[in-house]
Amino acid sequence: MTWTRRKFGRVAGAGLAALAAGPARGAGRPRVVVIGGGIAGATVAKYLATSSAKPEVTLVEPKQRYTTCFFSNFYLAGTRSLESLTHGYEKLTSNYGIQVIHDTATSIDPVAKTVVLASGGKLSYDRAVVGPGIAFKYGTIAGYDEAATQVIPHAWNAGPQTQLLRKQLESMDDGGLFVIVAPPDPFRCPPGPYERASLVAYYFKQFKPRSKILILDAKDTFFEQDLFEDGWNRHYPGMIEWLPAQFTGGVKSVDVKTRAIKTGGDTFNANVANIIPAQIAGELAQRAGLADQTGWCPIDPMTFESKLHPAIHVIGDATNAGDMPKSAFVANSQAKACAFAIASALSGSEETMPHLFNTCFTFLAPNDAVTDAINMTPSGGSIKITDIFFSQVGESDEIRRQTSRQGEGWYAAFTHDIFG
Amino acid sequence: MPASSFTALAIAAAFFALNAGAAAAADQARGAELAAMCASCHRLDGRDQGIPSIIGMDKQTFIHAMNAFKSGARSNSMMHAVALQLSDAEIATLAAYLGARTKEGKR
Repeated sequence: MTWTRRKFGRVAGAGLAALAAGPARGAGRPRVVVIGGGIAGATVAKYLATSSAKPEVTLVEPKQRYTTCFFSNFYLAGTRSLESLTHGYEKLTSNYGIQVIHDTATSIDPVAKTVVLASGGKLSYDRAVVGPGIAFKYGTIAGYDEAATQVIPHAWNAGPQTQLLRKQLESMDDGGLFVIVAPPDPFRCPPGPYERASLVAYYFKQFKPRSKILILDAKDTFFEQDLFEDGWNRHYPGMIEWLPAQFTGGVKSVDVKTRAIKTGGDTFNANVANIIPAQIAGELAQRAGLADQTGWCPIDPMTFESKLHPAIHVIGDATNAGDMPKSAFVANSQAKACAFAIASALSGSEETMPHLFNTCFTFLAPNDAVTDAINMTPSGGSIKITDIFFSQVGESDEIRRQTSRQGEGWYAAFTHDIFG
Repeated sequence: MPASSFTALAIAAAFFALNAGAAAAADQARGAELAAMCASCHRLDGRDQGIPSIIGMDKQTFIHAMNAFKSGARSNSMMHAVALQLSDAEIATLAAYLGARTKEGKR
């Protein structure tokens, strides 16, 4: 079996690499192991493989295919299939020579520089890159644990959870109450819960117009609030209500059987509920000691190398990257900066200042999209925002239509950049 | 021409070609790094859908467009932000790199 032979080759190679002063060169190309095939991991694998350092790149990801969380609110609205949001890893192998191993990394040994796989295999590396994504902090809302997600989905990782929520919305009677519990900062996709309310309202307006949506927030303000509230008034008057934590006292507990959601004051009885819990860096980050007491991973702002373990880089939602929001776009931007920094380190070439950028296409309705555009730069040991621009309330319908068409184009180009 | 000065000339020419080659390779590598930022929204294989293709453009047209986005003469918040991040030298490097890409495109 080819894979087993390769595996043994790697283990033998680890001894040699440990003896060499720098990356294993001459005898072989430098090795980079990327763990996690989400937006951050798939992007860094591709950009490393095409870099001038020409390392041997291995990507470890248990799933055969990846479904994007961004644009999955369109699936909830019934306007896009989950299949259209799902991407395979075949092209990363056929076009860029990346070895993709469908397995789970159980641990990383930062001294021996090896990654242990659930199947028992071991991969040695000169550099490792980890894109662990997020994990949920269950227990912050009494009664909401991992088992409860099978009844009340979080739908904050796209896939079966998103399907479960769609099914429940479809079978809800007209006139029902859909409650979204929005998480405290920091969390993946700052506009996400509110875009979800918008696009589910779009679905309700057509098929269940007497239904209501209630957002119980852990925060007192939210991202692009003025744009959302304006959009809700124009498209779905009276349908969406948002209650800040200072008003409700926050969500305290949930009765999974009855879908009764108890806040500091009132209790709300939902017909369908979506609880998006508080978040921390993904499981592997916690297990590998890459996260600090905040629950997130501290990184060098130029290279995304972990501040806790050298030669391991962390990218994407799991990082504590200063002002950078947790978005797919940021994960992609960080991955490129990280790939170029690793390529410079492996080939001994000059390191350049990374260009870090974010934009999010956010849909108030399928023909009404808004954006933000954020420039960020490493500064004082962290990453700071240097410029920030938003769409404005009162823009013409034509501008919003154009932005939504750009948003569709962005999805196609962005996923091509990552998986194509 | 004496043989020795011919040799010297040939060596000088070879050095020049080597340096020019190295500089071109460095520009190509830097161009690819900068274009990675563009690739998050613009496909670099010539296809476009909602967002225009930016490959194979005339260099000056590209530079004018980026400067117009930077100054705000052309209004687009995303391109305004991107242009603000790029120096004149970086815009010129990008103009050369993207301008040389063709639809068949993986150079």
